[in-house]
Amino acid sequence: MDNTTTTLEPIIIFLTRSLATLEWAFNKLPGSAVIQRYVKSSHQNDPGRTLLELILVVFAIRTLLQSRTQADRGEKHFIQFSEKEIDELVDEWAPEPLAQPLDDQTQHELDVLPIVAGGNGPKPKLVNTGKTVTNLTSLNFTGLAGNEFFKQRATETLRKYGLGSCGPPGFYGTLDVHMELERDIADFLGTESSIIYSQGFATASSVIPAFCKRGDIIVADRGVNFAIQKGIQISRSTVRWYDHNDMRSLEEVLEAVEKERQKRRQPLTRRFIITEGIFEKDGAMIDLPKLIELKFKHKYRLILDESYSFGTVGRTGRGLTELYNVPASKIDMLIGSIAIGLLSCGGFCAGSEEVINHQRINGLSFVFSASMPALLSVCASEAINTFRNTPSIFTQLQDNVRAARAILDRVDCITIPSHHASPIIHIYIRKSSGNLLHPKSAAVLTPFTPSKPSNYTSIFPRDPSWWECDIETEEQQLQEVVEEALSQGVMITKARRLRGQEMVEPRPSIKLAMTSALTRKETEKAVNVVKAALIKVLRK
Amino acid sequence: MPASSSAPSPMALNPPSASQSTIRKRSSASPMSTATSYLSALPQADASARNSITPPPSTPALSLSSSTTDSAPNTPPDEYQELNGHLNGSGSADEFYFRAKGNGPGGEGDGLLTPLHPPTSEQVFTTVHTEFGHCANESYRFISKHPPGAPFPKHVEQDPPYYILFTTYTSYLILIILGHLRDFVGKRLNPASYKHLIPRDVSIIPLFLHLLFCGEWETAGSSCCRRVTGYRLGAVFAHSCLGIVLIIISQGYAPLNSDFDSFYTRRLKTRMDECFSQPVTGVAGRTIQILDRISPDYNETMILTGSRTRALNISSYNYLGFAQARGGCADAVEEAINRYGVSSCGSRLEGGTNDLHQIGEALVARFVGMEDAIIGSMGFATNSAFIPALVSKGCLVVSDELNHASIRFGVRLSGAHVRMFKHNDMKSLESLLREAISQGQPKTHRPWKKILLIVEGLYSMEGTMVNLPAIVELKKKYKFYIFVDEAHSIGALGQSGRGVCDFFGVNPRSVDILMGTFTKSFGAAGGYIAGSKTLIDHLRVNGHASPYAEAMTPPVLTQIIASMASIMGVAVPGTPLAERASAPQVHPGPAPPNALPTWLSLPPALSSGLEGSFRLRRLAFNSRYLHHGLKKLGFITYGHPSSPIVPLLLFNPGKMCIFHRMMKDRKTPIVVVVVAYPATPLVTGRVRFCVSAAHTKEDIDTILKSCDEIGDTLDLKHGIKRSERWTWEEVARRAVELVETAA
Ligand SMILES: Cc1ncc(COP(=O)(O)O)c(C=O)c1O
Repeated sequence: MDNTTTTLEPIIIFLTRSLATLEWAFNKLPGSAVIQRYVKSSHQNDPGRTLLELILVVFAIRTLLQSRTQADRGEKHFIQFSEKEIDELVDEWAPEPLAQPLDDQTQHELDVLPIVAGGNGPKPKLVNTGKTVTNLTSLNFTGLAGNEFFKQRATETLRKYGLGSCGPPGFYGTLDVHMELERDIADFLGTESSIIYSQGFATASSVIPAFCKRGDIIVADRGVNFAIQKGIQISRSTVRWYDHNDMRSLEEVLEAVEKERQKRRQPLTRRFIITEGIFEKDGAMIDLPKLIELKFKHKYRLILDESYSFGTVGRTGRGLTELYNVPASKIDMLIGSIAIGLLSCGGFCAGSEEVINHQRINGLSFVFSASMPALLSVCASEAINTFRNTPSIFTQLQDNVRAARAILDRVDCITIPSHHASPIIHIYIRKSSGNLLHPKSAAVLTPFTPSKPSNYTSIFPRDPSWWECDIETEEQQLQEVVEEALSQGVMITKARRLRGQEMVEPRPSIKLAMTSALTRKETEKAVNVVKAALIKVLRK
Repeated sequence: MPASSSAPSPMALNPPSASQSTIRKRSSASPMSTATSYLSALPQADASARNSITPPPSTPALSLSSSTTDSAPNTPPDEYQELNGHLNGSGSADEFYFRAKGNGPGGEGDGLLTPLHPPTSEQVFTTVHTEFGHCANESYRFISKHPPGAPFPKHVEQDPPYYILFTTYTSYLILIILGHLRDFVGKRLNPASYKHLIPRDVSIIPLFLHLLFCGEWETAGSSCCRRVTGYRLGAVFAHSCLGIVLIIISQGYAPLNSDFDSFYTRRLKTRMDECFSQPVTGVAGRTIQILDRISPDYNETMILTGSRTRALNISSYNYLGFAQARGGCADAVEEAINRYGVSSCGSRLEGGTNDLHQIGEALVARFVGMEDAIIGSMGFATNSAFIPALVSKGCLVVSDELNHASIRFGVRLSGAHVRMFKHNDMKSLESLLREAISQGQPKTHRPWKKILLIVEGLYSMEGTMVNLPAIVELKKKYKFYIFVDEAHSIGALGQSGRGVCDFFGVNPRSVDILMGTFTKSFGAAGGYIAGSKTLIDHLRVNGHASPYAEAMTPPVLTQIIASMASIMGVAVPGTPLAERASAPQVHPGPAPPNALPTWLSLPPALSSGLEGSFRLRRLAFNSRYLHHGLKKLGFITYGHPSSPIVPLLLFNPGKMCIFHRMMKDRKTPIVVVVVAYPATPLVTGRVRFCVSAAHTKEDIDTILKSCDEIGDTLDLKHGIKRSERWTWEEVARRAVELVETAA
C-alpha cells in the first residue's frame, strides 16, 4: 500500500503541476473567462447538460470523421467472414418475390372497378358496361366538373402557357398564375398568404414534417387520415393521441402533456394539434370553436386538414371557418385540397407569411417537385370566383345531403357516423344486424365506460368498439352492395383502404359523395337504389 | 456567322427531302425579305397545321397577302406585344452594357424572337420559334447511344486549383462569421425582427424591461445597421412597442424556426435569393418570359416591377421541347379539355379512373418495354407513395448517396433499413452488398427479405448516368431488385428516347422497376412506375396513392399520350410495322394504332414518328455540343457527355450570384439555374444547364459565347491549360466535329 503511494507520488506531482500550468495558460488566453463562465453556469444550472454537450461534441467529431457510405464494420454485432464464406452466403440467400399476386377477392374488386368513359360528371358512361350511371362516387361536390366556362379558360391558358411547367418552383417553375392562385386562396379564406402543392395527398405529409421535428409534440386525433399519419410518421415528433372527435379527451391529453412536461422539467418545444375539419375516415365534423379555444388556452399551434370541408361547406364554400364563423387566421396551418375543393389538381396550405415562407424552403414536396400545370391553376382560381358568385351551388349540395340523409337515416341495418352537413356520407354495417352470432360482435356490445381514459401514447383507444370488427366479411358484404347498386344504375364505392398499412384499420364503409350537379329528385332516386341494395344484401 | 460558314446554306446541304417533320416544303416560292413578314406568316403556318387535321404533305403555300387577316386571331396575344416591347424599350440598358464592352452589334435582333438566319423561301416551320427553335441544318443532329462494347465513361471529378478551394472555403467562413455577428447584434438591437426565433416562455415583466432598454439602443443601431436614414425616434419607439406586443401575445410558443436550423436560410440563402424562385410567365420553351423584380431591402422582399423580359431558357427540364402552346400535342390537349373537362374527380380506386388512364398506362408500359405500368398525378408522390408498397421492415434498400429527396421520403416511410453507397461507385456497391447479405439484418442476423437497389438514370445535379450494365451484371450474382428512377433520363436518352436502358442497349426487363416522371421530357406532370403485371397490380391496390391521391387529370394525360406517341410513332394499320407493333414484346417499337384514344388524331409529322426522332437527334447534338464546347473553352464540367444536364463548376458562392446576374443582363438575356450547398457539396457550387431539343445551334453558340466572356471575367476556366483552350468562334465553327469525334 505504502509502496504504491510512493511510486505514484512523482506522477501525481507532475500531473498537478502540468494541470496548473495548463490552467494558467488557459487563463492567459483572451476570452477564456467567458468560456469558463459559460461552462460553469451551464454546469450549475443543469449538470446533465454538460455531459450531453460533451457527448454531442464527441458525436459531432465521430460523424465528421465517418463517411456516410462507410460500412458499419465497427459494430459489435459484426461477424467476420472470409471471402469464400461470403460467396457461399450470397449464393444461399434467396429473396422473397417483389410482389405477391393479389388474392381472389382483391383481384375481383380491381377487375370490376368502374372506369369512366369520357368526361366525369353526375351521369357518366362506364367503360365496363357501356351504360350511363348516376354517380355517387366521384368527388364533384359543387358540380363544376365538365363546366363549359372552365373548359374555355383552360384552353385559353393552354394556348398561352402550354401544359407543363417543366420546373420546380425554385427554378423557373413559379408562374404568375400560381402566384395569383395563392393570392386568391389567401383572400378567399382571409389569411395572410398561402402556398400551393401539386398534389392534394402529398400536401399534409409535406406540411407536417416542415414544422414538426424530433422532440416536438403533436397531439392528434385518433381518426386522422392516411396522409396525416404519414406526415406524423416522417416528422419523428412525439405523438399523443386523443379520442376521435372528442374535445373532452383532447383537453385531458393537453393537460396531461403539460403535466408531463412540468414533471420532467422539459424545455418548451413546438406543440401542435393536428386534426381534420371533416374526417375522411367517417365524415365526422369537429367542433371548431371549442378546438380553437383549447388551442389558445394551451398555446398549441393548429394544423387543420380541411380537404373535405373546403369547397363543400359554408355559405360560399370557405369551409368550417365560414360555417362556424371563425376567422381562418386563427388556424395556424390550414390545409386544403385543390383537387377536391376546387376540382382541379393539387393542394394548398394557408396561414401567416411566416408559416408559408417557411414551407417554401422546407416543404419537401414543394421544393423538390415541379409546379402545377398552368391551366389547372387557372381553373382553380376560376372555381373560387364561381364560389363567390354563385353560393347557390352550396345550397343545392346541402339540399341533396339532407335528402340523402333523410332516406338513409331510416335504414335500420346501417349506422352513419358522418355529420349531417357532411357531403361525404359513410355507411357502416350496423353490428347488431345480420351477424349477431359472430363471436366478435358479442364482445363489442359491452357498454362504453368513459371512466377509463385511453392511453394517449397509443393510437388504439381503450374502447375498441369503433375499430374492431370482422373486416373481411364486412368488406365482402359491402362489395356486394356496391355491385348490386351498380347493376341498378348507381355508381357507389366502398371507402378504399390500405389494409395492413394503416395505423388503425378503419371500419369498412361505403362512401357516398353528394353533388350539386344532381337535382334533389335525382339524388333521392339514386339514394333509394342504394338503400334497396343495402337492405337486399344485409338482410340476407 | 460562324455556323453558316461550315454550312453555307441549310437547304443546300440538305436537298429538299421531305423527311424533316417540322419543316415542310413551300411549293410556291414567295420570298420573305423581312423578319416581320416572316413572323406574320408563322402563326399562319401554325394555324394551318392545326386546322387541317390531316394536311397532305404538300399543302399549297400560304400566300403572304392573306396572312395578315387570317393569322391575327391565332397569334399568341403577347407575342407581338413582346416583340414591340423588346425592340423599342427594354433593350436600351442591355445594349449600353454591351456596347460599352464593345460586344454585340447594336440594333440587330438577338435571335430570340426571330431566327438569326431568316428561313429561306423553301422552309415553313410548324413551331413557334420562341417555343421551339427553327433549325434546318441536318448536320446539327446526333444519335444518343452508348457505343456497344465501349467501356463506361468514368466520371472524374476534376479539382480546381488550390487557391480556388481556399477562397471558396474562406468565403463560406466569412459568410458564416458575418451571419453570426449580425445575429448577435441584431437580436439585441432589433428584437422585433427576430421574434420568430426567440422562445417566448419567459415571464413578462423582465422581458418588458429588457425590451424597453433595447428599444433605446435601437436608435443608435438603426442608423448604422439598417442603413435607414430619417428613422425617427418615434418610429423606433413604435417599432419596439410593436415587438413587445407581438412577443407578449405569442408568449408560450416555441419558435417555429429554430435559430440554428434557419441560420443557413437567413444568412446564406437570402443573399442569393435573386437567383431563386424567379416568377415567370408563358411557355417554358426555348425562351421564357421572366417577370422583372427588384428588392429594396436586400432580398427580404421582392417587388415585381410589372415589366417582362424574354430570355433564352436553358433551365427548364424541357428536354424534348414538348413545352409548347402550339402544335399537335397542344391541339390534342385542347380536344381533350373539350371532351373530358379538366378534373378527374377522385382517386384511382374511388371513381377517378377514366379510359385515358387505361390508355396512358398501356402506352407507357409499351414505351418503356415493360408488361404494365401505373400512373400517378405527381412525380414526387410517385416515389414517396409507391416505394412503401414495395419494401417494408426486414427489407434492405441500397441507395445511391445522391438519390432524390422523393426517394428518401418514400424509403423512410417504408420502414426498410437503408444503406447508401458512394455515388455510382460499383466497387462500393459490391462490397456493401457482400457485407449486407452476409451479415443479414442488424442484430438478429436474419437474412433480408428482399434487397432493393434504388438508383437514378440520370442524376439531376451531376449529369452523371448510372452504370446500368454493371448493375445488371451484379444483379445476377447478388439477386437484388433494381429500381431505376428515370425522371430525367426518360425521353432524353437513347436512340429512341426510352431512357438509360435504351442508351446502353440493356433489355428493360432485366430491370425490375422503372420509374419516371412526365414533368420533364413530355412537358406534362406526374409520374409512372412500370414493371411486371403482378407488381403493378399489387401497386394498384397497395400503393398509397391509389385510394387516397387524386387521379391524373385528362389534359395532362392527353399531353403524355400525344407526346409519347409522337416519340414512338404510330403504326398505320395494315402495314408490317403495325403487325410488329401488335406483337406484345417489341421494344422499342411504334405504338399500335389502337393504342391511342379513337378521337385523337395527331398530325402526320407526329404520328409518323419523324418529329420525335428529329427532336431526339437535336437534343443529343445540343447536349454533346454544349458539354464539349464548355470543356474546350476551358471550364470544369461534370457529367456524362451525352447528358442533357450540363453542370458547370463555379465554386465560389459569390460567383454564383454574379454569374446568374451577368447571364441575365446580357443583350440576349439567358436565365440559368445556380445550385449551391446544401444541394451540392460545400465547395462545388455550380450552374446547371438543361439543354433542350428546342434550342438551335445558334442558341448554344450564344450560351457558349456568354460563358466564355463571363468565364474570363470571373476566372472560371480551370479545366484545361490556356494553350489547349479554343476560342468560342473556333468552338462554334467546329461544332459538328466536336460532337462527333470527342469521347
Ligand atoms: C430523380 C427525380 N425523381 C422524382 C422527381 C419528382 O418529379 P416531379 O417534379 O414530377 O414531382 C424529380 C424531380 O425533380 C427527380 O429529379
